[in-house]
Amino acid sequence: MDLLHNLALGLNTAATMQNLIYCFVGVFLGTFIGALPGVGPLAAVAMLLPVSFYLPPETALVMLAGVYYGAEYGGSIASILLNIPGTPSASVTCIDGYPMAQQGRAGVALFSTAMASMFGALFGVVVMVLLSPRLAEFALLFQPAEYFSVMVLGLVAASIVSTSGVVRGLMMVCLGILLGTIGVDVNSGETRFTGGIPQLRDGVSLVVVAMGLFGVSEVITSMRGTTQSYAGAGMIGRMFPNRDEWRRSFMPAVRGSAIGSFFGTLPGTGQTVASFVAYALEKRLNKRADQFGKGAIEGVVVPESANNAAAQTAFIPTLTLGIPGSTTMALMLGALMIHGITPGPRMISEHPELFWGLVVSFVFGNIFLLILNIPLIGLWVRLLRVPHYFLYPAVIVLICVGVYSISNSLTDIWATLAFGLVGYVLRLFRFEPAPMLIGFVLGPMMEEYFRRAMLLSRGDATVFFTRPGSAALLLVAILMLCATMLPWRRWLTAGLSRRRQA
Amino acid sequence: MRHLISHAGPLIMLSAGLFFSVGAVTSLDLGSFRRMGPGAFPLLVGGLLCLLALIGLVQNLRHPLPVDHADPVAVLGVTGGVVGFALLTPLLGVLPATFIAVLTTAAVIPGFRWPMRLALAAGVAVGVWLIFVLCLGIPFTAIKGI
Repeated sequence: MDLLHNLALGLNTAATMQNLIYCFVGVFLGTFIGALPGVGPLAAVAMLLPVSFYLPPETALVMLAGVYYGAEYGGSIASILLNIPGTPSASVTCIDGYPMAQQGRAGVALFSTAMASMFGALFGVVVMVLLSPRLAEFALLFQPAEYFSVMVLGLVAASIVSTSGVVRGLMMVCLGILLGTIGVDVNSGETRFTGGIPQLRDGVSLVVVAMGLFGVSEVITSMRGTTQSYAGAGMIGRMFPNRDEWRRSFMPAVRGSAIGSFFGTLPGTGQTVASFVAYALEKRLNKRADQFGKGAIEGVVVPESANNAAAQTAFIPTLTLGIPGSTTMALMLGALMIHGITPGPRMISEHPELFWGLVVSFVFGNIFLLILNIPLIGLWVRLLRVPHYFLYPAVIVLICVGVYSISNSLTDIWATLAFGLVGYVLRLFRFEPAPMLIGFVLGPMMEEYFRRAMLLSRGDATVFFTRPGSAALLLVAILMLCATMLPWRRWLTAGLSRRRQA
Repeated sequence: MRHLISHAGPLIMLSAGLFFSVGAVTSLDLGSFRRMGPGAFPLLVGGLLCLLALIGLVQNLRHPLPVDHADPVAVLGVTGGVVGFALLTPLLGVLPATFIAVLTTAAVIPGFRWPMRLALAAGVAVGVWLIFVLCLGIPFTAIKGI
């Protein structure tokens, strides 16, 4: 009964005209950004942060979330038609999607990815509805030591998926945390590391960091990379799969969604890992494994259901524990904090309309996405034929206008440029900026809980290991670090390429 | 030579770690274990960053990670666009600044014809006016003097 009541509350929030419009804007932009290789959903969410200041928190979150999961739908379009993943998590979809397009079955591939995405997403939403309130209740038992440890776990998880190695990922996390200490210390009122610059007293703004690291530096990296238009995107062919293809897709979609849901809930792992693991596992289970890599419909259904399920369940740790499931989630947490809402286990009970409204908006958003991706698929196909370099100057200027719109401050624009250049140099040296942003968002909370835990334990640092909850969380973090020593990547890619050759 | 440049990555991190930890020790109160001062946490994390940077340096000495080639023209184009926007906004207003910033950045993209660049710049300026001024009602000086 409680659940029905909550869902009704959510429906009330999500079904207002304003929220529906912003939800549509979000998923439309998400599909757009996802379909175009080059600018990722992270940059898009960063660019929308300033706009979200002018909206009520639930509307802002509905829109930002729409961009995020809309990009998962859009990402597969370029994978299938061009063999270029629009988003990293759609890279697995290339393996079977592109051969399907070459065989003239692009329409079937696009239709089944849209259906699989929807199935995976709704599966993820159900998991989220059932799991989040329980997890939040459980997390109410947490004390500062546990909060600190759960953040350590989140940061470790965020850095181990870094492609340039865990040590570099952890370095970026530390740098992000240190950046977060700039400004006035809330406990003592002392200013830290401001160098006497008065604008830094309030700390470095999240919008400035996010826009610089992900907007400006990403544009510099990809602006002059590919300048040709993708004229290859052509024939789509028939859209509807035949009965046999429907039947063969069902169980893989269920398995993909289940695996995706699981990986989405783990902080830091995200959709890319989910789709890789789901594909690798499906090949061991499926009777038609010999067809994988040659245009098997299962091969597009599995990764797409997995990454969309993961995209939804990534909200579970974000909204119940305040631990971002991915970098985009970290930005959304930041958006919540700007609106004065502290993410954590109390959020569901204190702001039920926000949580349940978001959940219900996912259902609406996925319906919008289905409409955008099946009847309107021609639009996106045509978009891929337009050279996409026109996007980069527009992105740069929209970043400037967005930053400037917050407080009409030119200093913020200079700071954004500085972060963009720093981010670019770090990218050249193979340091990924994503873990840094997660560290920056979590850093101040982490310090607060650390100091509180030490105060409660009367200065005894062993408290993090003697409290069973905290010790278990730290143990998981240590196990994760140890697990990175194993050659996972080789195992996964070996499995993939073996099938490809077969 | 590129190997040597490659080591600069962890060294940058080491200097950042040193900056924060030394800064915490010299200018901030560290407090006690029980009641930590504002400097304690930065010192801890800064120290950790130094340690990680040293590990990263050793890793890099064994297997240097390649460094990507910089694209100075792209840096120039983007920097030019942003600088143009920041300088022109107080002089001319947001929309003219937008127009010129788009042109500046688009100028460095090869294969982008000038009529298209002008059209894009005008389009973005109109888009900015629609979204920020008309829909969101942000108090900008859209065009100075109007």
